[in-house]
Parts: sequence; C-alpha cells; structure tokens
Amino acid sequence: MATRDSLSGTEPSFRDRVRFARQSVGERLPTPGEGIVGYLFLLPAFLLFGIFLAFPIVYTFYLSFFRFEGVGNDTLLWIDTGFFSYRLTSIADLRFIGLENYIAMFSDTLFHQALFNTTFILVVQVPLMVALALLFAVALDASFVRLRGVFRTVLALPVSANLVAYSTVFLLMMQDAGLINYVLTSIGLPAIPWLTSSFWSRMTIVGAVTWRWTGYNMIILLAGLQNIPQQLYEAAEIDGATRIQKFRYVTVPQLRPVLLFVFVTSTIGTFKLFSEPVIINGGGAPLDSTITIVQYIYQTAFIDFRLGYASALTYVLIGVVSVLSAIQLNVGGESDA
Amino acid sequence: MSGITLDTVRKEFGSGEEAVLAVEDVDLEIEDGEFLVLVGPSGCGKTTTLRCIAGLEDVTSGRILFGDRDVTEFRARERDVAMVFQNYALYPHMDVRDNIGFGLKLSTQQSAAEIDQQVEDVAAMLGISDLLDDKPKELSGGQQQRVALGRAIVRDPAAFLMDEPLSNLDAKLRSQMRTELQTLQHDLDVTTVYVTHDQTEAMAMGDRIAVMNDGRLQQVGTAEEVYRSPVNEFVADFIGSPSINVFDATVDGSRLDGPGGFTYHLSDASPVEGLDTVRVGIRPEDITLVDDGIPMVANVLEPMGNENFLYTTLGDHDITARIDPTKRPQPDETVEFAFEESALYLFDPDTGDALKTKDDGEIPDRGADTNARSSETDEALEEAVE
Amino acid sequence: MREETRREAVWQFLTYAFILLGAILTLVPLYWIFVASTLKESQFLSSTSPRLAPGDSFFANFQSLQARENVQFVGHVGEMTHYIDLGPFYIAYDFWNLWNMGAIESSIFVAGVYTLLSLLLCSMAGFAFAKYEFRFKKPIFYAILATLILPIQLLVIPLFLLMSQLGLTNNYWAIILPWAANPLGIFLMRQNMRSIPDALLESARMDGATEFQLFYKIALPTMKSSLAALSIILFLFQWNLFLFPLVILDQGKYTIPVAINQLVGAQRVYYDQIMVAATLSIIPIFILFLFLQKQFVSGILAGSVKE
Repeated sequence: MATRDSLSGTEPSFRDRVRFARQSVGERLPTPGEGIVGYLFLLPAFLLFGIFLAFPIVYTFYLSFFRFEGVGNDTLLWIDTGFFSYRLTSIADLRFIGLENYIAMFSDTLFHQALFNTTFILVVQVPLMVALALLFAVALDASFVRLRGVFRTVLALPVSANLVAYSTVFLLMMQDAGLINYVLTSIGLPAIPWLTSSFWSRMTIVGAVTWRWTGYNMIILLAGLQNIPQQLYEAAEIDGATRIQKFRYVTVPQLRPVLLFVFVTSTIGTFKLFSEPVIINGGGAPLDSTITIVQYIYQTAFIDFRLGYASALTYVLIGVVSVLSAIQLNVGGESDA
Repeated sequence: MSGITLDTVRKEFGSGEEAVLAVEDVDLEIEDGEFLVLVGPSGCGKTTTLRCIAGLEDVTSGRILFGDRDVTEFRARERDVAMVFQNYALYPHMDVRDNIGFGLKLSTQQSAAEIDQQVEDVAAMLGISDLLDDKPKELSGGQQQRVALGRAIVRDPAAFLMDEPLSNLDAKLRSQMRTELQTLQHDLDVTTVYVTHDQTEAMAMGDRIAVMNDGRLQQVGTAEEVYRSPVNEFVADFIGSPSINVFDATVDGSRLDGPGGFTYHLSDASPVEGLDTVRVGIRPEDITLVDDGIPMVANVLEPMGNENFLYTTLGDHDITARIDPTKRPQPDETVEFAFEESALYLFDPDTGDALKTKDDGEIPDRGADTNARSSETDEALEEAVE
Repeated sequence: MREETRREAVWQFLTYAFILLGAILTLVPLYWIFVASTLKESQFLSSTSPRLAPGDSFFANFQSLQARENVQFVGHVGEMTHYIDLGPFYIAYDFWNLWNMGAIESSIFVAGVYTLLSLLLCSMAGFAFAKYEFRFKKPIFYAILATLILPIQLLVIPLFLLMSQLGLTNNYWAIILPWAANPLGIFLMRQNMRSIPDALLESARMDGATEFQLFYKIALPTMKSSLAALSIILFLFQWNLFLFPLVILDQGKYTIPVAINQLVGAQRVYYDQIMVAATLSIIPIFILFLFLQKQFVSGILAGSVKE
C-alpha cells in the first residue's frame, strides 16, 4: 500500500490526516498580500471600534443640533433575507434647531452648577490624591523590604472594590450618626454634617474618590521611583544634597513623565465621576451640590428626555476635557503616546 | 587636599550566617596628591573599598582618616570628596552647566555668578565649553565622561574617587583619556583613588598600585615593584600581559624537575631549602628560543608585528612565550627555550608567597650599558608594561 | 555622628507611622462593609455605639435582599420549559433555563465574555499594528489613541440611541460589544507585540506557516504575561461599568452596580441589604486580588506605559 510518507513506514494517524487536509486546503487558498493580512487582523476590532466608538462621536455631534426625545417606531431600514429580518428604527420627533441647544447652555444654571461642582472636586481632589500617592510611594520606596509588598497590596485594594458598592459604604459611613462622626466626636471634635452641607458633601466625594484611587496611582508612581538609577542619588549625595534636596533635584524631575501621566488620567477620571455622586446624592445630599457633569447629562438625557440638548452638553464636555488634557501635556513638556 | 588612611577597614554585607565579607582588614596609606590605583579581578572588593572611602557605604569596623580627621562616621556629603562613576551618573534633566555646578550650588555659599565662572573655567580646561547648554543625552560617551570629570574637578575636593571611569569607552578613546587624566591629576595635584580591573591601565597610570583579591589587600607598590617583586603568586599572575607561566616542580637539592622533562639547576638554592616541591614562574617575555635548551612543543603562533606570541606545551602544561618576530615555529614543531636565572620566580606551593623574584637589583640605565642581559630585561619590562 | 542616626531613626519611625496610617484608613471602609452586612440596620445607624464586631444578621439581611422584587441579586434554580415530545418520554433541552441569573451571575458572565472577546480583538489588532504595514495604518492608530482621552460616559447617549435603533436594548451584548475594541487594550498589545523578534516570524513563514498560525502559535504564547495583565484591566473595567448598563439594561438583566443602585431609593436607603450585596460583590474580587497580586500590579503598570 503506497502511503504518503514512505519515511515513517507507518500509517498516518487520524491527526496527521487532518493536518494534511488542512495543509492542502491552505495551499489552494490565494496567498494574501502583506497589506491585506494586516487589515484582516485589524478588521473585527476596527469594525466594532468604528460602529460603537467612532461613529457615536460623530453621531453625537450631529444630534446636538436637533431636538428629539428618543427612539420612535417608524422604520428607517429593513433587511429581510429570509433567515432573519432586521429593523432599524427611526428617532422620534427629530427636529432641527440649529445652535439653539448650545445657546441654551449659557442660561442653564443647573449646568453651571454641575460645572462648578465638577471643577471644585477636580481642583481639590486631584492634587490631594497625587500628593498623597507620591508620599506613599516615596515612603514605600525607602527600602523596608518584606513589608513593602504587603503594604502595596493593602493600599491598592480599593481599586478592586465595586464602584457602586464602595460608594454606598461611604454613604453609610458619612451619615450624621455614622462611623466617621463617631470617631470625630470621640476625639472631641464636632460632628461634621457630611451629607447635609453643600461644602461637606463635595468633600465626601473627594474623600471617597481619593480613597479609591490613591493606591492605584501610588503603584504607578512607585514603579517610576524604582526606575530612577540609584547612582543619581549617590552622585547627589556626594555633591552635598540633603534628603529634601535629593527629592527636589533628583526624584521629582525624574518622575516628571509619570507624574504627568497620573495627573492627566486623574483629571480625565474626575470628569467621568458618576457613580459616587449618584449614590451619595441619591442618599440625601443637599440639592444639586454634588451634581457632576456626567450626572447632569444623564439626567437631561434619560430622565428629562431632552436628548438633543444632552448631546450638545456632551460635546462641550468632550471639548473641555480635550483642551484640559492638551494644556496639561504641554505644560508637562511631554507628548502623549 | 590631604592624604587618606585606611585603618583595618572591614566591610561585611548582610549579617549572621549570610554575611558576605567584601573587604577584609585593609590597611592603606595614601599620600597627599598621590594617584593610587586599586586593581584586582571582579569581586575582589576594590569598588566596595572605594565606596567606603566615599562614605556611600558604612564600614563594619575600622577607621578612615582624611589627613588627621577621622571621617569614619561622616556621611558622604560631609567628607568633601568628589566621585566619577563608571556610567557617569549625570543628572539627565539638567544641562551640562547645571550638572557641573550642582555641587557648588548645594555645598557652598558662592553666588551664581561665581559658580558660573568656575564652571566655565573647568569646561575650558576639559575642552567642553561649547557643550555647556546641551543635555547629557545629546553627548557622546567621551563627552559625558568629561562632564563627569568636570563636576568632580570644579568642587576642588579633598580627594578624587574614580570607579572604572574609562571602561565604558572604546579602546582608542580610552587610551587617549588615560593620558589626559594623568596630566590633569598631575596639574591639579589632588589625592586620587582610581579603581580598575584592567592591570594595563593600572600599571600605566598610578603612582602606586594596590592589588586586591578576595577582599584582602595583596600588595601596594609602584608599577615596577609590583611587576618585579610580587609578594605572592596571585600578584605575579595578575600583573603582566600575557600572564606569567607557573607550574609545579620537584626540588632535589638545587635541581628543579618540572613537567615535560623540564630540568633546571639553581645557582642559589636557598629559596627552596627544606621544600619538596615549589612553584616555578617564568614570564613570557623572559623566554628566548635557543638551540640547546629545554624542549617544548609549539601549538599556535600569533604574529604581533614587533614580536610573536608562541603558545606551546611543556609536558602537560601550557606555556606562553614572547619571541623574536623572525622566529616562526610551525605547529607540532619542537622548539627549545632558555631563560635567565635572575628572571626566575619561585613561589611557595602552599601559601603562594614569593620565595624568589626578579632580582637584578636596580633598573639599569637605558643606552649607557654594555651588558646585553640588562638591556634584554629592560626591553622586556617596557613591553610588559604595555 | 549619633545625632545623625537619631535623626534617621525619627525619619524611619515617621515613615512607618505614615504608611500604617494609610493602611488602616484604607482597610476601615472595607472592614466596615463586611461588618455592616452582618448587622441589623438599627445597629449600625446609631452614633452612640457603632459596633465594630461582626454580628449575626448576615443571612437575615441576605434573605431580605433576595426577597426584593425589583432586584435579583443571586440567581436561583429555574425550570426547564422546552421539551421535545418523543411519545413515551420527553427530553428537555433548554438548559439555559436551569438557572435564572441574578446580578452576580450577570456581572460575572458579562465581564467574562467581554474579557475573552476583547482579548482576542485587541491582540489581533495589536498584532496587526505591530507587525504589518498597510496604508492608513498611522492615521487609524492615532484615531484609536485619540479616544483614550475621552471619558467613555460621554458616548452613552449616542450608544443608547444606536442600541435602541438596532433593537439591542436590555441585551447583554449591548454592554459587551461597544468597548470590545478597547483602545487601551489595542495600544498595550501593540506595544508588547513590538518586542517579538521579526526573525522569529519570518523563519516561521519560511517553514510554511500561515499568517494566522503566526498569530496563534507564536505571538500569543509569547504574550502570555501581557495578556494576563490586560485581562485584569479589561475584567475590572467591565465589572465596574455603571452608567451605560444603567441606561440599557432592564430588570432581570441587571449587573451588580445597577442592582445595588436599585437599593438606594429616593425615600429610603436599604442599608442592610446594600451592605450584603456589597460584601458579596467585593469579596470574590478581593480574594482574586490577593492571589493574583502580581498580575494586578503589572496590569496597573501596563496601563501606564509611556513611550
């Protein structure tokens, strides 16, 4: 019996035969050019990206010039291939109103309030958190060997906690009769109206967000710290630098790119704040003192059903975030990616 | 500007059972203005010793003195030393000007203008004046080297400490910088401790050489002393390129019997009195090919231009010889060699201590001699030092 | 100088104290979640003595959580209702009805599927960007990068519309698909794949491998640790998504964040139930975190790679 490979002398196994079949099919397929293969690999990701990420950005912009309230029942597009049918529905009450949405923003006090709140939180929380993260990173970097891993893990735990869950815990702790006030009163300090004062409710959010993200940023800064060559510190020591001088002249300059990264991502993160204010606000925070921009957009879109206006708001927000990031990157003196 | 004294300096890393003894009871006196080279194989403790002098490491026991001052307990920044690191350790985010002036800014009360002036003077001295506004990463290795040097020089410290500063440079640049460094040190007259693993560099540069091995100081002396009168087999082997040939020989009165039928009669047998075996050492440059000497089998011939390196086998032992360029033995050819007794080294087989070293007395004057033997060893010395 | 070592000791003490303080502050809320979930509401809402020790009401709280109508936190066994009638006996085939998914299962399901899908897509895309040349490669890449700056919440409105128009509301795929091509993931994969030696791929090509085999047999195995780090980033990302699922999903398909949110009513906050829910959702991740510390940390660091 003539077999395919006379070398081995045995019958090809089942797996071998499958492989041969696969190879012969592969041989018969046309060899794609280099460029096409690249596209092929990219295709699924690109498709999804295009439909669900790129298109919506454009779509929002388009919609911001309209007024509408949701999805309607009219059919825009119908595909029926016998196997399945597909219906693309229209948008209800689409009415073109030009720049009306954008103009309305100027007189929308609630929007302004949301902007103020978000900015307030941004200005307080980000520097606070970055400074804390830096201090912790420096502390952990100072060669206390075994315990370093333990502390690093502990300080980073909050990131893995569920967003909504941890917000509710803070809501609970910050009650007038809650844990935090209990601790304060037992030291002799007055209880703070965490959730009922407009100032303090914002600080509650600052506290919650700081609690959650400091460890995360600390890990990043710690890695940056450990990348600084020891010899630079030695050279500084020989040049006569004290501990604080070393920090100022070696540590901080060397950390600049990492610090910048942490700053930018934290800023962007602040503009995304939604869960914490929703939960804490929903738990009885004073009216509107903690509404963040995203929260306001959500409210406008899905509770008030003013989707066109919400789209315009979204676009303004995109603009603000982009500008802020660009400024930070320029000041930081590094180009992103 | 002062001398440096190391008094029974000992440095241990770790503690208890895992302790590693890096530097063991080193006693060293460095004169004011001297250029001392610390040399030895990797891991011998030379860099650790340097770092102890700098104050970057604490000594486990012993003292370090700068002149009369006991600086053992002082931090590095209190000792008034300057260090040049192997990879320069320049501050990447500062330009060259700030790099050089940094130490002055931190440790002196000088005004910015004064510092600037000094920086520019030093830059001019090193030929890097036009690089003052560049950042380190824009400079070549050699240029970074000079900046590191400038940083050290401008501080006018009590001592320069250099940790293998030339090993990251290519060969040509390295020899160029070598001479520059020596001139510089001579002009500035600052006590310098220089660490290297390259014995050629050590021989060429130092006023004195300190050879270390395994944490212990083996020998301190001038290049000639260390070459001619090594205190033990290690130093004899470490100094000199190619390395000295050493093999065992049995002692029978004044006759030595070695591998491959090697036989030699000592005229003065006192060094080997009472010993059954001894280690015999002959430097490659002291071997000459003759017609009626000790036979050995040639293996590989490396022509070097002005001389040839011949690798041979004597019995079961490999021998290296530096021979006249006109002689070209073929592989497997048997050649015969001889050497002067005064060039013979003898070492104790157990301790490695030197029993006999090159003892022609003083180094003969060049040119004014009629003694063919002296000029031969003179030449050999010159070549060995390369 | 002795004064010097005294000062050193003070610094060391301060540093330790600082770190310890941080650790305690970090752990307090977490511990509190756990404790509160075991107490009756009245017990932890009073300021006179918030208990620090765990109580015994965990199961009671859990049951009141499960009893709620609008939220199903943990699923329960269901009934198979589709049968093939073969006469003397029938065979049920709708195994998916065996278990009605609660919020926890939903979250796990969604996050798991998302992670796998996204890993595949991102690694393929990263591979394409890293190892192939094609027109428009640069512009497309930069476009993808640009979205990194965008807060994702901002796409909620158009996505909602899109999903409605496509008929995908209240469908898990609506949350899985949009970010399956995660720009951060693509960026990371590209970065890491660049380090695969071209020579390796070329020699495989000469040996007759197809391009897909290159990807599957060479690139992926080499990237194991990056894939692990990335999968953690992706999983956590999906696990924590709140805004979009809130908008898209309806009862019966809630993920954990949305479910917990239901418990924060306008009039009354059901703290005891919330705490139980919080404990249940946090603890598994913590355990995961403790075991996979290294990967978590490298995941965080991977996300911070700078050029």
